[in-house]
Amino acid sequence: MSGDPIFEPLRFRHLKVKNRVFRSNISGRFDNEDGSLTQTRVNWETKFANGGVGAIISSYVPVLMEGRIMAGYGTIHRDDFVPLWKKLGDAVHAHDCKFILQLSHSGRQMDVPGVHNSHRPSLSSTSRKESLHGFLCQAMSLGQIRTVIDAFAAGARRAREAGLDGVELHAANGYLFTQFLSSGINDRKDEYGGELPNRARFLLEVIAAIRAEVGHDFHLQVKLSAIDRNNVMPWEKKGNTLADTVEIAKWCESAGADALHISSGSLFPHPLNPPGDLSLETLATTYDTMISSGASGLRNYLLFRYPLLRPIFRWLWFRMKKGHVVEGVNLDEARVIKQAVSIPVICTGGFQTASVVRDAISEGYCDGVSIARSLVANNDLVKQWAAGHDLPARPCTYCNRCLVNAIKNPLGCYEPARFADHDAMVAELMSIYRTKPDLRVPTEV
Amino acid sequence: MAMSDPPFTAVQIYLRKRRWGLRAIVAALLLIAIVGLATLVLGTALAWRYTRHTVPEFTDDVQHFEHGSIGAEDASGLPYKIWKTLPEVYPERFGHRRDYRAFGFLYETDAKGHQADLPIGIARSRVNGVDMVWFNCATCHTGSWRDRAEGSVHVVPGMPSNNLDLYGLIRMLLDAGADEKMSPDKLLPAIEKTNGRFGPIDKLMWRYVVIPRVREGLVMRRSRLGPLLETQPEWGPGRVDTFNPYKMIQFGIAASTLSPQERIGTADFPAVFNQAQREGMNLHWDGNNNSLAERNLSAALGAGVTPDTVNHGSIERVAAWLKRLPAPASPNHPDPGAVSRGGALFQTHCAVCHGWNDPGHGYVFKGDKLGKVEPIATLQTDPARLDSYTQAFRDLQVGKLFYGTPYRFSHFRKTDGYANLPLDGLWLRGPYLHNGSVPTLAALLMPPARRPAAFVRGLEVIDRANGGFVSPPCTPGQRPAKGICFDTRLPGNGAGGHVYGTQLPEAQRRDLLAYLLTF
Repeated sequence: MSGDPIFEPLRFRHLKVKNRVFRSNISGRFDNEDGSLTQTRVNWETKFANGGVGAIISSYVPVLMEGRIMAGYGTIHRDDFVPLWKKLGDAVHAHDCKFILQLSHSGRQMDVPGVHNSHRPSLSSTSRKESLHGFLCQAMSLGQIRTVIDAFAAGARRAREAGLDGVELHAANGYLFTQFLSSGINDRKDEYGGELPNRARFLLEVIAAIRAEVGHDFHLQVKLSAIDRNNVMPWEKKGNTLADTVEIAKWCESAGADALHISSGSLFPHPLNPPGDLSLETLATTYDTMISSGASGLRNYLLFRYPLLRPIFRWLWFRMKKGHVVEGVNLDEARVIKQAVSIPVICTGGFQTASVVRDAISEGYCDGVSIARSLVANNDLVKQWAAGHDLPARPCTYCNRCLVNAIKNPLGCYEPARFADHDAMVAELMSIYRTKPDLRVPTEV
Repeated sequence: MAMSDPPFTAVQIYLRKRRWGLRAIVAALLLIAIVGLATLVLGTALAWRYTRHTVPEFTDDVQHFEHGSIGAEDASGLPYKIWKTLPEVYPERFGHRRDYRAFGFLYETDAKGHQADLPIGIARSRVNGVDMVWFNCATCHTGSWRDRAEGSVHVVPGMPSNNLDLYGLIRMLLDAGADEKMSPDKLLPAIEKTNGRFGPIDKLMWRYVVIPRVREGLVMRRSRLGPLLETQPEWGPGRVDTFNPYKMIQFGIAASTLSPQERIGTADFPAVFNQAQREGMNLHWDGNNNSLAERNLSAALGAGVTPDTVNHGSIERVAAWLKRLPAPASPNHPDPGAVSRGGALFQTHCAVCHGWNDPGHGYVFKGDKLGKVEPIATLQTDPARLDSYTQAFRDLQVGKLFYGTPYRFSHFRKTDGYANLPLDGLWLRGPYLHNGSVPTLAALLMPPARRPAAFVRGLEVIDRANGGFVSPPCTPGQRPAKGICFDTRLPGNGAGGHVYGTQLPEAQRRDLLAYLLTF
């Protein structure tokens, strides 16, 4: 292992990670409806820590209940949740793994609004509904923007108080930050809309607020979509280019970001994020969860449900994948950004092969990689690499069944080819529920 | 969730709003579709109903001649229902009869004595879904005679329509065109009373399309023909101005632009017997055309066909039948000796121009000048009819009518006199001369000064002694019980000229008359 760039520590300004592999943000609906964490969450994160990754970037963690993308995700909007997060941090740290909490706000991209949010349009930069699912939204007032900025700062403070190792701002993949950054989405006429500096104002003000709240010695990284490719629905505008994102990256560095995390796409999921297949047959059984979430839910469901209609969606989705590899899909963009900044750059996008990651790091494409699906398939992927395997024996097939099941079923690998039988697959899915909690009689109801 | 439940989620609120919008759009589209479908169905039904053209066919040649369509109904005709209603609307113009006998039309009767629905010379066909009626060849070429006033009527196809008061009919129609009784509000109830009730669609069509179009047509004709008729003496039964109305209707020439000489072209309807023998002769009174086919087509235009509506097949069928149609033999049986002597005189004085009758063998169509034009300077008969056909009109006929078709006119010419005609069926062709200005053959053999200055026209009783029809003297301005008082002193009615035989001694004139009575 000596000399293998994968296993070289990655040093940020105020954080050192033991190797170059980050568990990318991915989450199931493991937590309580009020946003408090569960043992399942702890179990989920810990198994990746145990698998050898250098750091875990938490799942999407809302800074406000109004910013959840899904009910059942843990939040960091309350001070009394700090001990819970500390417990999770402790669990991860036990495996010499860092834990970076991803501070997030869904904006209009709210897949399952839950009881807290279903009664109102989501807050966003715009009042135009989201293009793929038809999520409703309302353009934020300046006062509401200020409130959200403060919420991010408070979230960072709570992360630090919980003893976590840093925070990441989820400014990629279509969530609230993207909704401000993207020229394909942001149609504001005030100082938060129009030219790129105006569109970046919200993100930069959040960074500034966090720095003001937690100081400059607490790790802060920003996840950016290198290219928006906002026109999944062909009538939509394309959104930000790589050149736009390079500018944003430089501004983030100047504002105090310690690292950048490069992804792609101005909505989630996106044909290039996560890259790979998309099982419309599976969506026909799970998307019913989202029918009532957006104005286009029923339309999409019908497109998934009826084989005769599937070619329509298949054309929309797969036309954008042409010419793109799956593993390392964002590497070229990451290198351009890395060349423009002096802070480390982490790249995500289908990594699973040690040699690919090794080359990416050694050839200067990025400083580290973040992985989600390949680690879901093989929690011990890093250990397998360390043992000299270039690729796991049962690799992730990029079928994305984990993705399309997550809205309805427990998060995990649903690729039948990777299991001996269905029972084996279910047993694997259930492994994180082995909580054995100390049940107690409540003292108050 | 029941419809009355308040929506729970923002998406529900949005979708409910959108649903109302969608419902409105769907309802509008549905309404448009229903209206469109109904319009399509109704339109198709109406199109089928109001685009049908059907022309009855007759197997019998005589029936075809008397009732077959030559294409005049399309552009010139009246809707059958209006034709039937007019006697109810204007009873005083129809002699308080429910038919057109007041204008001299003849009706067939069946074995039980029931009068036919339409008179001879009126064809009926369906034009754009509406039954229309108008003239055909028989209108002007079917007359009648009777032996005595109370005797039975004999209808003769091919003889001049000695009873037809075309002038009276046209005046009646032109007056109707400007009469409020022809407004849809007043005419529709009258039509329904006469013909039965309309269905709702038909009623709309008649109120807003059929009746207004008929009125427009009558107004146009009144505008064009009215000023002409105002300047002409009443034609009287058996007479027509062939070419002046033709100028107004076919070419839109204003009556006011006609020269005084051409203004009156009134002449008798001609007989159309034995047409085959006339091929090559100069036809029409002034001999302006020597082609039977062109003469026939031109006559059809006068009856109301247009180059667009003319039914050539029908006209050609009539023409073929007329070629073989003989003139009925004269019922007169004058003294054979007088006939014989008269025949000799006829050969000397008349046959070169008119051919001759060979009693018992029929008419002989020979004679060096038969079918040739006799200059007006020689004939000295009334020139009005000759002058009504002008070179300018001839040029329009040739240059515009049927131009670019095989039917284009090419034989018309302006002449300087009147044609010498065969005299077959002469007993049915009174009064005589082209303008019917001489009541009998006996009068025709008298010097012009001794010919009757005024006589009654329109009686169908044959005059066995004098030839032609009984034509008692009358006083101009006083309308006789039947027919009109024909005043030879009015323009175009002059009885002068054609003095052949008038200088013979009276006995020879009697012999000549006896011979002529056998024609």
